[in-house]
Amino acid sequence: MQDILDRMRQVAESPLDYAAEWKARTGRKVIGLLPMHFPGELAHAAGCLPVILQADDEPITVGQANIFSFYCGYNRSLVDQVTRGALDGLDAIMFGDHCVQLLGTADIIRDQRPDMPILFNQLCSVLDADWAMRETRNTFVQLWKELETLTGQPIPEETARASIRAFNRSRGQMRELYRLRKRGEVSITGRDMQAVIKSSMVMEKGEHLALMDRLLAEIPRHAPSQGAVPVYLSGHLCHAPDPAIMDLIEDCGATIVNDDLFTGWRFIHADMDDGLLPAEAMARWYVDKNRKVPCPTRATKSQDWEDYLLEQCAESGARGLIVLMVKFCEPHMYFYPEIKEAFDARGVPHLLLETEHEEMPMEALKTRVETFVEITKRRSAAEAA
Amino acid sequence: METLVQTDQARPVFGNGLKANKLKATKFGGKLVSEYWESVFRAKEEGKKVVWYNGTYIPPFFHSHDLVWVHGEAWSAMLAARHKEIGAQGRSDQRGYDRELCSYARTHIGQMLIELDKVKSGHHAMAADDPRVETMLKLPAPDMIVNAYPYCSSGQQWDDITYRTFGKKIPMFTIQIPLLWGGRPDAGYMQGEEWEERSRYVAEQLFALTKFLEENTGRKYDYDRLGETMSFVKKAAELRLEAMDMCTVHPSPASFFDWIVSIAPVNFLPGDQNLVTYFEGVKAEIAERVKTGEGAVPKERHRLFFDGMMNWNKVGWLADKFAQVDACVVAGRYTHMSFWQEPQLIDLKDPILGMAQNYLICPNNHGAPIMIGEIEKVCDKFDIDGVVCHASRTCRGMTNAQFQIAGSAKKYGRQAMFFEGDVADESFYKDELLNVRLEAMVEAMDAKKRAA
Ligand code: SF4
Ligand code: SF4
Repeated sequence: MQDILDRMRQVAESPLDYAAEWKARTGRKVIGLLPMHFPGELAHAAGCLPVILQADDEPITVGQANIFSFYCGYNRSLVDQVTRGALDGLDAIMFGDHCVQLLGTADIIRDQRPDMPILFNQLCSVLDADWAMRETRNTFVQLWKELETLTGQPIPEETARASIRAFNRSRGQMRELYRLRKRGEVSITGRDMQAVIKSSMVMEKGEHLALMDRLLAEIPRHAPSQGAVPVYLSGHLCHAPDPAIMDLIEDCGATIVNDDLFTGWRFIHADMDDGLLPAEAMARWYVDKNRKVPCPTRATKSQDWEDYLLEQCAESGARGLIVLMVKFCEPHMYFYPEIKEAFDARGVPHLLLETEHEEMPMEALKTRVETFVEITKRRSAAEAA
Repeated sequence: METLVQTDQARPVFGNGLKANKLKATKFGGKLVSEYWESVFRAKEEGKKVVWYNGTYIPPFFHSHDLVWVHGEAWSAMLAARHKEIGAQGRSDQRGYDRELCSYARTHIGQMLIELDKVKSGHHAMAADDPRVETMLKLPAPDMIVNAYPYCSSGQQWDDITYRTFGKKIPMFTIQIPLLWGGRPDAGYMQGEEWEERSRYVAEQLFALTKFLEENTGRKYDYDRLGETMSFVKKAAELRLEAMDMCTVHPSPASFFDWIVSIAPVNFLPGDQNLVTYFEGVKAEIAERVKTGEGAVPKERHRLFFDGMMNWNKVGWLADKFAQVDACVVAGRYTHMSFWQEPQLIDLKDPILGMAQNYLICPNNHGAPIMIGEIEKVCDKFDIDGVVCHASRTCRGMTNAQFQIAGSAKKYGRQAMFFEGDVADESFYKDELLNVRLEAMVEAMDAKKRAA
């Protein structure tokens, strides 16, 4: 099993190297995708490798000439990557999200790499509007056409449907791993779970599906273990959390039982309906998924992120919530106070950790997490008594 | 370069110590703004429904339906301009809104929380002589919320929070004004397939807005009245542009700061004859100044372009600061590329499409290449020597393309500089940094002129 996780980790850590090798091997195009709402299925159906772009580990250097320090680490890292040429292997980038910071990044990418095709189609952000479905469908149809122009090949509906099926299967496999983790039947560290999800954002689908089949078969099952404090991890939208944070949380005596991270449950929770016309299925998936896992970057009046989190903590047996907030992430900053108030009102322990792309004060964070774990333990013991 | 001197007001004055020569006609705007807020405060007494809104200049839709509107940004800017924002920001800080979040939003949300605290506790917690009490007591709660924020997601999320803070009970309508990315082969300023499509999309949403207003007031929407309201707005917008065009002369008779204080009439004040009167006054004074050669800056030597969101608690301060180094900020992205910028698009018999198009061309709603192309045209037209970028800490909507804007300025032989500040949070403003950078820029412009 370790070889599977090693391979996934290797791909997750160097996605662009993987993409370059794939491109050299297949002679096909690599499409960079920006989080959090663009269907990789479409690029896959066009015969390309969709790669969800990640922040890398490099400190921001040359990128500083193009982006202010008060932007989230994800945007600053992307700008740094494009400025130093790290994204040159991509054949196109596909996005059009709503977060104002990403819109700025789109323009910097266009400025730095004027020859790189940017398939920019802004998604409707008001998901309960009467026209949300129609607009979203139009956006995906437009994208469909632009991908056909890029590759010079039509994308047959049947191929798109096959891609949808492959992606559904992939998400289903990862959800199964989540289910096993939640029930305590398998042990998988936060770091390894990140490797599983992040590698699926990069790897050629067939390869990842095969690795996951093996992983699900080989990962040892055991009876739920006692001891560590079960916690739920929330937040970190586009930006994947540094695995060192996961290690730190676990080293302090907690175990992560579930999450709503983008490089986590948020990415895998919703499937597309392969019985519908593909553009329709994609639009439905986009418009509906916010109702299942609320996203603060979308406006849906009926949804409450805090209620979702309370429910999910209870359902997964988590005794506390750790909110990982990317510094300068506006959508998250807007909605955090409501989460805090709801958890306070219910008496569920919670901890906010603000993360930065550059160095984080790990020792100080450790002290805070240790205290949190201690409080959570005590509260659980008092409740049990 | 002259050094800092201390004035009798004990306020450090930079450069030559001179003050900006502001237009007198803009005083009428102050009166109109006060009257507007008074009418807002009277709304409940008069039995009028109140809409809270954020974003683009949609009040003609409300005005034509006899509604009263509270513009969240104007409210925050007003508190900031009157130096009353600190309490509101403190309250939002107390609820956990991070100070890196849009300070317009934080001020507005904080103020709203203070209002709700009062409602909940049955009294207000501040001393009766606290200067904030007066304004806070008066802001009427919303009957409807409308959001129509071009480009900036923060603007949309801000109203989501307003909606939630009022317990999700107030009807809310959100209009999406999508970015004009300008990536298709036929794209250009107000042209191409994307422009046509997006214009129709926003117009359709505006039409749906009138239906929303009908549903929530039980009254039929009067489209003729909208045309009538827009006739005043259109006329005012034309006068404003004509007056702006007269500032191509040297010295410029009006500055960016005069246009900043003239935003309210084209942004959120009621569309009536007063708007026209206001801009007639401004235009007449500018014409007089052109005749006599009077400048907005006593000794104009350099002409600048201001990029970025306004620093609302520093309007007068900055106007004087630039005057003190003989630099006239003649134009800006915020003032010269927005607010009914293309009035000819509005057909008074059927104004909605033209209104949608004016909303779409708000300057940050264009992808950078088209937006920067338009900035260059403004800079050429007004004979600009340098571009000053206000890196407004919490407003990414306006800082997004600033490195490219500065790069473009340099490419075309203009100086460019940045200074740190914010829309409504004074703590981010760095006066000393601005002084040093402005001095350096003026020196460079001097050297260039000497060499020429
Ligand atoms: S949503 Fe947050 S993490 Fe994503 S790009 Fe915007 S600011 Fe960054
Ligand atoms: S960040 Fe700027 S553009 Fe966005 S809502 Fe705030 S003030 Fe408006």
